[in-house]
Amino acid sequence: MKSIKRTQRITSLVILLFILGMAVLVFKLVHESSFYMMNSDKHELGFVYDRTGDVLFDGTGEGSYPDNYFLDVGNIIGDDSGQMNNTLVANNIEKLNNYSFSNGLIQDGGKAAIYTTLDHAANRAVYNAFGYQDGCVCAYNYKTGEMLVCASIPSLDVTKGYDNIGSFRPGTLLSKPMSGTVPGSTQKVSTVITALEIMGSSNLYAKSYNCSGKYINRTGDSIDCHNIYGHGTQNIQEAFENSCNPFFAQLIEDDEMPLDRIMKQYEKMGYVLNGGEPQFYEIDGIQCATASTTLEDKYQFKTQWGCIGQGDTLVSPMQLMMWESAIANESGKMTMPYFIDHVTDVKGHIRDKAKTRYSDKLFSESTASAAKQILLTNGADKYSYSIVGYNVGVKSGTAQVDEGAHENSLLVGFVDDPSFPIAFCILIENKDSGYLTTEQVAQVLLDNLKNNN
Amino acid sequence: MESLDLIFCAVAAAALDICIFVLIITAYREKRSTKKNWRQISNDMELAEQDKSYELGCDEVLIGRHASADIRLPDLSVSRYHAMLTVANGVWTIKDIGSKSGIFVNGELTREAVLHENDIIKLGNRRLLFRKRRDSRVR
Amino acid sequence: MYANPIAYVFSCIFVLIAHSAMLCNIWFNGKFDEPRDIAVLGAAVIILDIAYFVVILAFKQISYALDFLLILVLGMSIIFQSCFGKVGFDVKHYITCIVCLAACKGGYMLCRDHKLLQDKKPYIYGAIGVMVLITLVFTSAENMWIEIGSFTLQPSEFIKPLFVLACATSIADQQKKHKILIFNVVYENIALFCIMAVICLVQVKSHDYGSLPTFLSIYTVGFLLRICYPKAKFSKKKLFAVIAVLIVFVLIGLKYAPDYVQHRLHVDIWSDKTGDGYQQSQALIGIANGGWFGVGPGKGFLCHVFAFDNDIVFATISEEWGLMFALMMVLTIIIITAIPLVNPARSYFHGTMSACVCAAFIVQMALNIFGSCNLIPFTGVTIPFISTGGSSLMVSGLMIGMLMAGQSPVFKEHKQKKQEDSEPAWRWKE
Repeated sequence: MKSIKRTQRITSLVILLFILGMAVLVFKLVHESSFYMMNSDKHELGFVYDRTGDVLFDGTGEGSYPDNYFLDVGNIIGDDSGQMNNTLVANNIEKLNNYSFSNGLIQDGGKAAIYTTLDHAANRAVYNAFGYQDGCVCAYNYKTGEMLVCASIPSLDVTKGYDNIGSFRPGTLLSKPMSGTVPGSTQKVSTVITALEIMGSSNLYAKSYNCSGKYINRTGDSIDCHNIYGHGTQNIQEAFENSCNPFFAQLIEDDEMPLDRIMKQYEKMGYVLNGGEPQFYEIDGIQCATASTTLEDKYQFKTQWGCIGQGDTLVSPMQLMMWESAIANESGKMTMPYFIDHVTDVKGHIRDKAKTRYSDKLFSESTASAAKQILLTNGADKYSYSIVGYNVGVKSGTAQVDEGAHENSLLVGFVDDPSFPIAFCILIENKDSGYLTTEQVAQVLLDNLKNNN
Repeated sequence: MESLDLIFCAVAAAALDICIFVLIITAYREKRSTKKNWRQISNDMELAEQDKSYELGCDEVLIGRHASADIRLPDLSVSRYHAMLTVANGVWTIKDIGSKSGIFVNGELTREAVLHENDIIKLGNRRLLFRKRRDSRVR
Repeated sequence: MYANPIAYVFSCIFVLIAHSAMLCNIWFNGKFDEPRDIAVLGAAVIILDIAYFVVILAFKQISYALDFLLILVLGMSIIFQSCFGKVGFDVKHYITCIVCLAACKGGYMLCRDHKLLQDKKPYIYGAIGVMVLITLVFTSAENMWIEIGSFTLQPSEFIKPLFVLACATSIADQQKKHKILIFNVVYENIALFCIMAVICLVQVKSHDYGSLPTFLSIYTVGFLLRICYPKAKFSKKKLFAVIAVLIVFVLIGLKYAPDYVQHRLHVDIWSDKTGDGYQQSQALIGIANGGWFGVGPGKGFLCHVFAFDNDIVFATISEEWGLMFALMMVLTIIIITAIPLVNPARSYFHGTMSACVCAAFIVQMALNIFGSCNLIPFTGVTIPFISTGGSSLMVSGLMIGMLMAGQSPVFKEHKQKKQEDSEPAWRWKE
């Protein structure tokens, strides 16, 4: 009777709980099924395309392509062999699998694909421009964030396999724009931004220091200029264009640049200071290093060199390029780059359309405008004959690596044209091993991007 | 999966579904025969008061004032757990399970007694008649 | 059923149709060497169906729904098990299913009369004691089975139905309180608590943590129904105290559990795919591979994984027949446990028995399915009728027999040693 009803209620409760559990289970199974399939050995991968529909990766392994067709994108697009973990395919392989729970694994005719924003023709042209020298180039649209070029030399053609992996040149399996490198004088862009932010532009423009070829700092160490005769008295624009080390050393020692504010501004911009945990940006699953440096005592050699461009400073070329977007946009916010424009699922429906995203504010708009002016003036004054046809704001750099054994050449900058908003960073390793200059690479880069636009 | 294969799998699943459905309906229809069987076992008896009748639906029926009692008599003269009715071999028995006022069957105070048709049970101030179940439709 | 011949015939027909549809599906989608294999399987299943339909007519039951559901599930189970890997005919499973049906009828005959069982209560407790001793003496953590000839028996499984009976018989004596020191206790409650503790220790010793929740659920349901029994006075405060103590025990148990248990609890199956997480990760991959409609009977790959036919059988069926089919199989078993809701028992004994059996089935199924799909740590329990395993099937058959007994009970008082004149049930008072 009443207690029989209670018996029924207990049974109903148990059954109900079980049915709830089963519902949760079915939901979880349907949603995570593509993850489970990726962990099995049953894959039917699709294609990766560039922005024009050109193939960058063929997951079916059955297409035939001209020799070295994928050479220039090998270490950024990658493949499913597991040899390179920090590539687009390795980190987005689930999107490429022709599988869905309702349809199962489709052997032929699955339309799963990743459509990237890269420009294969421009990428290849830039890659070939390096010839036998090594380095990397990255370029993107700083209004939308679309990555257009990301080449790292040396690279590999993934269709050729890894049998001779022992004879690959060092760095073949890495995409160099993603890892930190010594920035050289391109670091001065960060220092200028910091100075503008702390002092304000009118105050900074009023500053002038003397360069006599070397400067003995307050702890007694010598900061040498690359011009042994010195540049004389300069203001910030002149020092920037001359890339004068003693000027910047004195700027850092200036009382109006307290160390704690320098450190705070550097951290805002993404630097990891004094041996902290390395930080990364994630660009469609690919890990990109930010920057790191040591700032301990602003009167001391290492700290000053760190702000000038050597010392312990390491910045990734991508980060250098992203800072340019914050300057070129005059907003102080970096446009976050992305590779994947959209993904199509196994039936061909478009999913995951990319959206433009910005970072937090790194510095104020007035700082951005002032820095933009400094860079543009530098470009107009010094580079109008080497980079022809574009209104660019640039900073060059020479970095000493391997304890001074080699020097890398860098060029970082942006194009000031609303219809052609490109920011770029070019690195040539071991610049004395050949005749290539960063300006030549920049010319090839911008010409190809403009033509394909 | 080819679409034809899919159809066959779906057909098998549908057949199973229909089978389960039919069996559930069978179970519901068996309710009637279960009820008939119970009435046969319990000799189809019920307890009646002046205006109410109580069904005896289980083989152990608790009468008392407590909320969990199967036949609830909210009268202060009735104890919380007053009496228990049990059936076996078609015979109903009433037993006193510790009441203050005791049970009177046909006027006699007992602790345990076999019930016969039309017996009158007195619990406290309440009188219950043990009679054959009457369908409310039948007059 | 004699009152419902139409329902009987319809049920027979539909069960046969369901099984035939499955056999058709094998014919069109399955992987088989020659059509003869399917014919053998089909014949065996259909013959078993028809034989059972005839046999149940010999038992005068009020409700036959459970019988039909049982033969439906067992037929499905035989078909599933025979198709794993390749369509064939699993003779061992077939024989254990027949034993299961026999056990079902045996359980039915045994448990119909609850007055008889009340009298035989000491035997029940004795039998539990014997089974516990056998478990302790003959089995150990490494080997949970006793081998008799070519059959293996798992003694700890047989404790389940006995425990259910013990819980059910304890209900009626709730009003017999005895005074020990200053407490009013009911002997049965103490006895059951002791048995529960002993069973827990035995399970812990034999490292069979899978069955522990099943026993606990049976005890809990029995406990709750004792509280609901009208005469048992149990205050809400005591209930909360008991729940709190239980939670504390569980937490302590989890914290101080031995190493291999801790490992099982915290394993991340995807990072340890070839070690501890192997069976579960393969099971999940199998289910993903199958999709809604499966890859086809016999075409799955899970049959190469260890324990594919009892511990991860849900995933194996899901892969070959599809997730939809596997869910419907689970639904069938749920309906079996829900039949007592449609036709409730009319005595506390049978009601408690039904509720305990339902709890045991559902908890066991939940442990198996959720464990193999990584919602809870993996335990090695079986799904009641689908997994292979002689002891598991026999015990499940016994418990279904108990459910059937609850649907068609008898209410007879037994003759005492001296013969009494049975008075007619009613006589007119003069």
